[in-house]
Amino acid sequence: MLELVGVRHRYDGRVVLDLARFEVPPGALIAMVGPNGSGKSTLLRLLALLEPPTEGEVRLDGRPVSGGPARARPDAALRRRVTLVEQRPILLRGTVRDNLGFGLRARGMRRADVNRVTEAVAARFGVTPLLERHRHELSEGEVQRVAVARALALEPEVLLLDEPVSSADRAAAQTLYGALAEERRRRPLAICLASHQLEDAYRWADDVRALADGKLSPVTPENLFRVELPAWVPGSGDLRHVRVGTVEIAVMTDKAGPAILAVPPTDIFVSREPLPSSARNVFAGRVTRLSRQRPGAVHVTADVGVELVAMVTEEAARDLQLAPGGPVVFAFKASAVRVF
Amino acid sequence: MDFLGEGLRRALALIVQGDAEVTGVVLLTLKVAVTATAIACTLGLPLGFFLATRPFWGRRAAFTLVNTALAFPTVVSGLLVFGLLSRRGPLGGLGWLYTWQAIAVGDVLIALPIAAALSAAAVQGVDPRIRRTAQTLGASAWRTAWAVAREARFALGAVITAAFGHVIAEIGSAMIVGGNIRGSTRTLTTAIALYTGQGEFGLALALGIILVLALLVNVVLQVLQGKAHA
Repeated sequence: MLELVGVRHRYDGRVVLDLARFEVPPGALIAMVGPNGSGKSTLLRLLALLEPPTEGEVRLDGRPVSGGPARARPDAALRRRVTLVEQRPILLRGTVRDNLGFGLRARGMRRADVNRVTEAVAARFGVTPLLERHRHELSEGEVQRVAVARALALEPEVLLLDEPVSSADRAAAQTLYGALAEERRRRPLAICLASHQLEDAYRWADDVRALADGKLSPVTPENLFRVELPAWVPGSGDLRHVRVGTVEIAVMTDKAGPAILAVPPTDIFVSREPLPSSARNVFAGRVTRLSRQRPGAVHVTADVGVELVAMVTEEAARDLQLAPGGPVVFAFKASAVRVF
Repeated sequence: MDFLGEGLRRALALIVQGDAEVTGVVLLTLKVAVTATAIACTLGLPLGFFLATRPFWGRRAAFTLVNTALAFPTVVSGLLVFGLLSRRGPLGGLGWLYTWQAIAVGDVLIALPIAAALSAAAVQGVDPRIRRTAQTLGASAWRTAWAVAREARFALGAVITAAFGHVIAEIGSAMIVGGNIRGSTRTLTTAIALYTGQGEFGLALALGIILVLALLVNVVLQVLQGKAHA
């Protein structure tokens, strides 16, 4: 098992990651979601053993391998067990074939075996026609696919993916996720991916974790917004209005300055038209997506001036006749909005 | 004008005829410059790579030191080597003073900061994802360095030509530690200075033309690099 223990990581003195424990069990399929700058990429680099944490340590099978009191430094053999594909991966100089074989040659594998493995992994990821091409002859999506194939050619125990479909269209994303699923059927493989796209996270991961400002968010990862709270005026009470997208969200807080707002999807009332209630936040809009995340529960995504996700039962979704493009009203109390 | 024209005619005649004096000076200069460049780059390129990629205590000071050494006066480098190699110096036992080896040692001191500072800059210019990619694919430190060096190959080639250009055109150190002895330590630059003083303008000009031609190698390499980039 790969894990971070007691990690506080700093850049230029600023804490960018603060995690008491973060575990990637064998064979797990974890998605990390969170806004830009929430620490996802840093977390992946620490897990990939590419930089040691400023405080705390990275453990592999219970053994400290990076950081910690002993300032452990991982060697090449340890790094081969955990491989990272960056958000904007880069191919090394040479052809796609050279790239797919790079890590295998680094292991000292014989040329004939390198060729055999390279061609097999290229076939699995549909990059065989690209084998003799150089990086400047590939599109961004092709580079991303080759980078994932290059990582998996090494048969790592843990694959870390930073926004794996950021530059791929939907069809390419399906192909990539399909190939990853196939890989997991072939052999034990834990995958930890960072994604902006909640839908992807829910569809492909067993375990969705939200990261906000370097910390694991205590609430589900939907409806997280980074905002600047206005200064509190004495005597004005704790009810504040904060602009998010084109709407103003009413929140109860005495905080000021940069903050994260979280609206739990289960705290949003869904209706077809505004209803009299105590909710201070009532937004009308259109349903953009309906997805079933688990039996009996439907995630309703709507554009109400900002994209919000609400969770309702299958029965409620049916009674309200919710459908993509149809009208919807989301309502939630100011006190339902978490501020941290 | 006659003086210049006559000097140029004589210079070209000496080059075309393959004058023994000119040939000897050229060969010695090349021997010294190639040896010094090879040693300086063998030491300086890894040093530059280390400075550019490894965080360590005092790294900033090391960068400042190397960058300052870029502008170190070559005459002072020569003095330093003279002190080391003179009979009473710590390396006097080698008996290298007033030999081509002494000039090469002086040139290494001059070229080493160039190789280190410019290669550090070249490596820092490589996309950091290259290094991370090689590492995450399980490459050893050497293989990772090789992957980075392949990306910076044109810049590192320019570092080698810059170091070569510097040592072949250097005079201060060569004059002090070499002594400008005919047939033994007379290099292109020290010979030009001597022959000009002796009124042998044609001979000095011939050597000057060859020196400039040697430096034109840099231009040719730059053009080739440009074509390879295109």
